[in-house]
Amino acid sequence: MILGYLGAGALLAALVMGGFSAVLSFWAGSQENAVMAQVGRRAFYAAAAMIAVAGGLLEWALLSHDFSLAYVTEHTDLSTPIALVAAGFYGGQEGSLLYWALVLGVLGSVSLVASASLGLRIAAYAAGLMAAILSFFLVVLVLVASPFGLLSIIPPDGLGLNPVLRDGGMLIHPPVVLAGFASFAIPFCFASAALLAGRPDSAWIAHTRRFALIAWSLQTTGLVLGMWWAYHVLGWGGYWGWDPVENVALMPWLATTAYLHSSMVQETRGRLRAWNFGLVILAFLLVVFGTFIVRSGVVPSVHTFAISAIGPWFLGFLLVCIVFSVVLLAARSSGLGGHTQPVAPVSREGAFVLQNLLLIGVVAVVFWGTILPLVSGMLGQQRVVGASYFERAAGPLLVVILALMAAGPLLPWRGAARLPSLRAMMWPGVTALVALAALLVARVSSIPALITLPLVAGVAATCLMQYARLSQGWKNLRRRRRRYGAYLAHLGLAVLVTGIGASHFWQQEKDVTLAPGEQVTVAGYTLTYAGSEQRQLADHTELVALMRFGDATLEPARATYAGLGGQSLTRVAINTTPLADVYVVLAGVTADGSASFSVFVNPLVSWIWAGGAIIIFGVLLGNLGERAAAVEAVRRRVPASVPG
Amino acid sequence: MIRWSIPALVVAACVGYLIYSASGGSAEYYLTVSQLRSHAISGDVRVAGVVETDVQKSQGGLHVTFTEKDGTASIPVDYTGTLPDIFRPGITVVAEGRLGSDGVFHARTLLAKCPSRFSTTPYTQ
Repeated sequence: MILGYLGAGALLAALVMGGFSAVLSFWAGSQENAVMAQVGRRAFYAAAAMIAVAGGLLEWALLSHDFSLAYVTEHTDLSTPIALVAAGFYGGQEGSLLYWALVLGVLGSVSLVASASLGLRIAAYAAGLMAAILSFFLVVLVLVASPFGLLSIIPPDGLGLNPVLRDGGMLIHPPVVLAGFASFAIPFCFASAALLAGRPDSAWIAHTRRFALIAWSLQTTGLVLGMWWAYHVLGWGGYWGWDPVENVALMPWLATTAYLHSSMVQETRGRLRAWNFGLVILAFLLVVFGTFIVRSGVVPSVHTFAISAIGPWFLGFLLVCIVFSVVLLAARSSGLGGHTQPVAPVSREGAFVLQNLLLIGVVAVVFWGTILPLVSGMLGQQRVVGASYFERAAGPLLVVILALMAAGPLLPWRGAARLPSLRAMMWPGVTALVALAALLVARVSSIPALITLPLVAGVAATCLMQYARLSQGWKNLRRRRRRYGAYLAHLGLAVLVTGIGASHFWQQEKDVTLAPGEQVTVAGYTLTYAGSEQRQLADHTELVALMRFGDATLEPARATYAGLGGQSLTRVAINTTPLADVYVVLAGVTADGSASFSVFVNPLVSWIWAGGAIIIFGVLLGNLGERAAAVEAVRRRVPASVPG
Repeated sequence: MIRWSIPALVVAACVGYLIYSASGGSAEYYLTVSQLRSHAISGDVRVAGVVETDVQKSQGGLHVTFTEKDGTASIPVDYTGTLPDIFRPGITVVAEGRLGSDGVFHARTLLAKCPSRFSTTPYTQ
């Protein structure tokens, strides 16, 4: 009870501080008042601190099973394992909004600490924008979706977490995805502040590069973890279904990926200023759009969304953000030109431009597929598109992006007048041809596979070639860490795409009913059904089928939770090797002891998870402890001389 | 600026063509049971409705027949494959497939509305 009052009080105090910081920071920016700008920043830190207090109180209420709070009652119960009780913090709508605000408050504070060096106006406007976004979340948290709502009668136990979510994935996937979304507000705020202040040089990019990378890494991890979780828990043999929930998480990632590349062009060559502003704004708008879609239920999805009062609030917030961004970009577009010299079509920056256009093209494809039900529903009969739409429309674009990944890093900046780069292209080209020949020898006839996989081999060859050059001098690795980190991330993506491609093109499935002792063979893997048994566990029972597979025994099962209306749940059994996963789902056991299974053989799925890990390792390798050098380099190359 | 707009327009045209050609072939109608009853649509559709209590499983749970209904209409559904975990009478499912001449809806895929972490039944005393 007392925790509820304290938490609500902390949120209200945070809202007052956030609103104060927003107003004061904008005023201080326009007046160029350094003292007031500093006060505005401190008010933001205070708001962040109050949100942290509220978060601590909510976590305390969860861990102490304080069922006087409606939120605690609705998302946990006494039988839920303690780690999942703690995860209830972001397990529900209200808590996830509080978590969003907490991430923005903490990372935003970190980004503001050293921001004064950007100049008073940028720093003050960035603090004001960040405080305004934070205040929006706090208004929703205080007025519409408070995690501290109290129940008039305290129940003896809570409702508990849905069994589908009682999984280790719940501990890591949601917080990583949400943090990836929330942290991208920081580049957005600094970009908009630079535009507002009329300082469109690269200083804001250097200042927020780290936060953009953090946001991108978190989004990447979140997507891969989401795929991993769906694959291990849901039991349909796949990891990506082009559901709206997945699509709205993919779109900001694509836009952020585009931005990370185009910002390099501005940092090294001083080009693409307007484009970079546009990309950062687009990525943030996609984050807000995704949050709105997930919480409003306007498109049909496999997920049931809580149709709650916060949908209209987020729609309003999205519209305000769109209008603000468009007006700001239009008002400042005149100052964003600069270079009149054209970009050479065959050059590093040319490749970046094309890659950016293609990535935004993929965003457009995914966006259209996601909102089609909404648009067609307004015009007449609602229509939906399935996976084949996304594969056919986005596939060709992704193939060209792969080709650019293979060729782009070998092209020189500023263009290749005499085309010396053709020699450099030889190794990736030869590798791709060898891969193509190998696939043809293996009698692969699928055209998409014959295009995609050789290109991936070319990408890998390009990255490995760069590392091979290192043997001429290891000190290059230290001096150009960003570069080598990026090649490692590219290599990771090549591994990941190989896994996606192989499991997509060559997945095999068989539905069978077996009596004890009978065998089934799928794609050369033989499984023997040995019988089934019933197991009683703490909060549920499991019907386990024993499948012999070589020396190992796979145990696909169906769990039944008596406490939740007898809901049953698949326990997938997976045997993983580097070459393929044998993935067994138990459909049911009949009275005579025979059992029905879906058996999948998914080639190279483990490469997807490995690729994700390599990508993140590459980002870490390239960026840990590199800050000072990066900022200096930028200052030297791009003088701040653009009129506002 | 003009130099930028040429590649941008080319890519935009390609993307537009890809979206148009891909969605033309694979966009399916998303209907309620009563809408399916009142429109005669040949080809694949998705039908959303609630599972009735007459669920009949065979082949150890790999084949199932049931009636899907909404407020006013109902339709028999036939499906072979692994059932979604939360499949049981009373839940909402989306069946993807086509209405056969026998009056039975033959589903290729069956999606159950998955409980999201954002939706729990509010606690009421």
